[in-house]
Amino acid sequence: MSARVAVLVFPGTNSEDETVRALQAAGLDAALVHWSEPEALARFDAYVLPGGFAYEDRIRAGAVAAHDALMDPVIEAAEAGKFVLGICNGAQMLAEAGLVPGTGPLRRPTAAFAPNASGRFHSVHVHVRLAVEPARVPILGGIAAGTVLPAWASHGDGRLAAPAGELERMARDGHVAFVYADREGRRVPSPSGSALDAAALVNRGGNVLAIMPHPERDAWTFQHLDRTRDRASMLAPSGGATFFRHFARALAGRAA
Amino acid sequence: MTTRAFAVALTIPDNEAFTATETLARLGLGVGRTARADIWLFDVDDPEADALRERIASIETIFNPNKHRLVERPSAAPEPGEVWIAARDEAPATLVGGRAIPGVRAIRRRTGWHLFDHDGRDVPAATLERAVETFLCNPAFQEAIR
Repeated sequence: MSARVAVLVFPGTNSEDETVRALQAAGLDAALVHWSEPEALARFDAYVLPGGFAYEDRIRAGAVAAHDALMDPVIEAAEAGKFVLGICNGAQMLAEAGLVPGTGPLRRPTAAFAPNASGRFHSVHVHVRLAVEPARVPILGGIAAGTVLPAWASHGDGRLAAPAGELERMARDGHVAFVYADREGRRVPSPSGSALDAAALVNRGGNVLAIMPHPERDAWTFQHLDRTRDRASMLAPSGGATFFRHFARALAGRAA
Repeated sequence: MTTRAFAVALTIPDNEAFTATETLARLGLGVGRTARADIWLFDVDDPEADALRERIASIETIFNPNKHRLVERPSAAPEPGEVWIAARDEAPATLVGGRAIPGVRAIRRRTGWHLFDHDGRDVPAATLERAVETFLCNPAFQEAIR
C-alpha cells in the first residue's frame, strides 16, 4: 500500500495541485487537507507544506500559518519523527515554526527565509546540489551524494538569514541540505542573497526538510526551459521528479 | 542632523492587523485590538523644513490619501504600548518610491504595532513583550525597538 501524504492548504496556498500531482507520480497516496480540518491529519504518514502565500504573508512570510491550528499536529508529528517537507512558503512556515534548523524552542525561530536582498520577487530557473551526506537526509531515501536537481526559485522571501553564530552552527552541523549550484553542481550565489548560498535546511533528525525552490515545477519536461515540442517527451518526468521519488522511497523504507 | 518620524496608517480596515489580533488571541494573549502603522524615519539637515510632510504625502508608494492617514510623530521612538519592528540588516535608503527628497540624508522604515486590551487600554508591558517574543518579531533577522 502506498504511503499516505497530506498536502496542507492554508488560505493563500497556491501550489497544492502540482504538489499533489508530483507526489502521486512518485507513487504516493497524496491528498489535500484544508486549514479547517486539522483532525484529519492523524491518518497520514507524512506531511507536505506547499508553496504560495499563506495568509497573504501577513506579518511575515509563513508566520501566521506557523501558529495555525493546522500546524499543531504537524509539529507534533515532526517531533515524533514523521517526515515533513516544506516547499517555498512551506519552507518559510517550517522556519517560523522552529522546526528548521530546529536549534531552538518550537515556534521561536532561530533562522528565517527573509526578504530577498534585492528587495524584489524573483522567478528564475535554478539548480540545487545536495550539500550534506545522504545519511543526513533520510527524508530523501537513497539520494546520491552531490545530487543536482533542477527547480524554479520563485519567491520574494528566500534569503536565509540568522545571526552569525547560528549560521556557523548550521554550516558546521549539516543543516544546509542543498545549496544553489550550476548544472554541473558547482556552488553559485543564490538569487535571493541567501546566507551560505542555502536553498534548503534540514533539522537535526533529518526528517524535516525546508526547500525554497520548487522541484514540483520542474517535475515534467513541459515545465523545463529547454523543453522539446514533442508531445510524448513533454509529458516525460524531468529532474524535479527525482526529488519526490526519493521522498517516496524514504516513506516506503519506513513502511517496510 | 535630526530624525523626523512619520506614521502612515490605514483608514480602511487593516486585514493584517486583524490577523495579528487573531493570532495573538490564539497564543493566549489578552489583546483586543491591534493597530499597525508604517513608520518612516527621515534624517534631515533642517528639522524645521515645512515642506517635508507635503513631499512625503505626494509619494504614492508611501501615502494614498484615499486610504491612509499621515501623522508626524513628536519623536523618533515608539509611543507607550507600541513596538517597532525593523530589519536587522537594513541599510538606510536615500530614495523612496524612486525619488530623492531634498535635504533628506537617509530613510529607514519600521512597522509599528500598538496593542490594546479588551477595554481599549494599552496592554501591559509584559503582554507586549510576549507578543514580540512569540509572534511579532523573528529575531533571526529582525529587531524590536521599544
